[in-house]
Amino acid sequence: MAYVATRGGERAIEQSQRLFKAELGDITPERVAEIRSAMPYLIDRVMGEASLYDEDLAALALAQTGGELYEAVLLLRAWRTTQPRIAVAEPVTQDALFTHRRISAAFKDIPGGQVLGPTLDYAHRILATEVLDGQTHRPEPVEPAAKPAPANQPSVAAWQAENGLLRAAVPDTQTGNDIPDVTREPLLFPAKRAHTLQSLARAETGGVLALGYAAQRGYGQAHPTVNELRLAEAEVVVTHPRGTQFSAGRVKVSQAEVVSKKGEQLELGFSATLGWNEVKVIAAATLDLNSKSAPKGSATEEEFFLYHTEGVESSGFCIHFKLPHYVTFQSSLYAMRDAKAKKAAKEKSAEPAE
Amino acid sequence: MTDMAQGLPGWTHEAQLSVLARADDMALKAFAEPLIADLPDIEVIENRTGLVMLPMRDTAQGTHFHLGEVLVSEARIGAGGQEGYGMRRGRDLEAAMAMAIVDLAVALGHAQVECLSFLEAASKAQKTTDIETLRRVEATRVDMETF
Repeated sequence: MAYVATRGGERAIEQSQRLFKAELGDITPERVAEIRSAMPYLIDRVMGEASLYDEDLAALALAQTGGELYEAVLLLRAWRTTQPRIAVAEPVTQDALFTHRRISAAFKDIPGGQVLGPTLDYAHRILATEVLDGQTHRPEPVEPAAKPAPANQPSVAAWQAENGLLRAAVPDTQTGNDIPDVTREPLLFPAKRAHTLQSLARAETGGVLALGYAAQRGYGQAHPTVNELRLAEAEVVVTHPRGTQFSAGRVKVSQAEVVSKKGEQLELGFSATLGWNEVKVIAAATLDLNSKSAPKGSATEEEFFLYHTEGVESSGFCIHFKLPHYVTFQSSLYAMRDAKAKKAAKEKSAEPAE
Repeated sequence: MTDMAQGLPGWTHEAQLSVLARADDMALKAFAEPLIADLPDIEVIENRTGLVMLPMRDTAQGTHFHLGEVLVSEARIGAGGQEGYGMRRGRDLEAAMAMAIVDLAVALGHAQVECLSFLEAASKAQKTTDIETLRRVEATRVDMETF
């Protein structure tokens, strides 16, 4: 692929960027704070796809790009490269999550019960147009229960394993820098499971949904049921120079298990991501469940879905097609004209002489 | 850094650090700043922002994988043969330094009553916040019935 340098475009480029930014107006600390507080789910989505957890940076990226999500994620991924990696935290485990929402579509009586948490699952979708007429839409306050919910909930999968419904997970012994990391190693196939799950954690939500939905509609090998869905907060456990492990704070995480009912035992697909984004983790867990024995080139084949749901690469590749391709395009035109001329010459030579 | 670090009665080092890491930033800075005057000369070993990679254990097969990186602020200081350390989520170098100062003060056995009082107040506020959150979560508990 070749590009041709454009001369005389500097002013136009500068002005085009000014035109983009002029529509956004001033970016102020107040605007960033408002985006952060008013759009937590958008912030979560951007942090998950950027693979960088900080609400202020995500809000700033959204403010700076006018909500152009691919650009916002790219900004954050680029900024991330300026920072040193200080540590690798202790692995988060499901039973240690500070749980806000935890439901199962497979079993109604799971140990610990089901809490809906913050959700619009059962809401009427009615646009509050009165706001456009100058009124304030004020949500009804939550009526707290007398007793708090347990902060930690047991694992549904562990309970199923105890009852012989599925094979118990064997805890990994790799920790710290020994855990494979796709930001430092190439993604090769068949992929390490750690690479697969990390790639899905940072994948673009729409891409994961499109391919996961294809599998759910029947273009996969297994139809999923949500075994357990959680929205929670995880402690970031780091180590003091004296060796004491402590929590440097909490981050929001989502995780989903989906289950297949084929065979003698249940099979699980799993996904988790930074931030609260349950559509993404259900779709991603569906892909994980379906990837085993998926046909080559199908939407549920690991190589296919991991390559095509990496948002920065895919959006970057897509938009690069609008950049000047004059040399390659002209080259193709020359080849076309040459082929046409040769064909015409051949046809002429084939004509009988007069 | 050879002398044994001191602690606070009734507090593990882990609990002390976890509460400081989650303490209100303004309150923490306001508490830590006056401590400096009575501490030995402080050497700042590190004060920076950086990333902590956060792994998780997959519940299907038990595999550890990386969820993504978390922005943190870190401070590491030394004085009087002890080290103070702070790491907090977010981009606030002053808050991380304030945490390190309190950690150092506790390690040196300095201002123990004040540190204890600050930690107990911060811990109580954090527990109250958690309980309020969980009472709101409990209000969404559902008993599914099949027909």
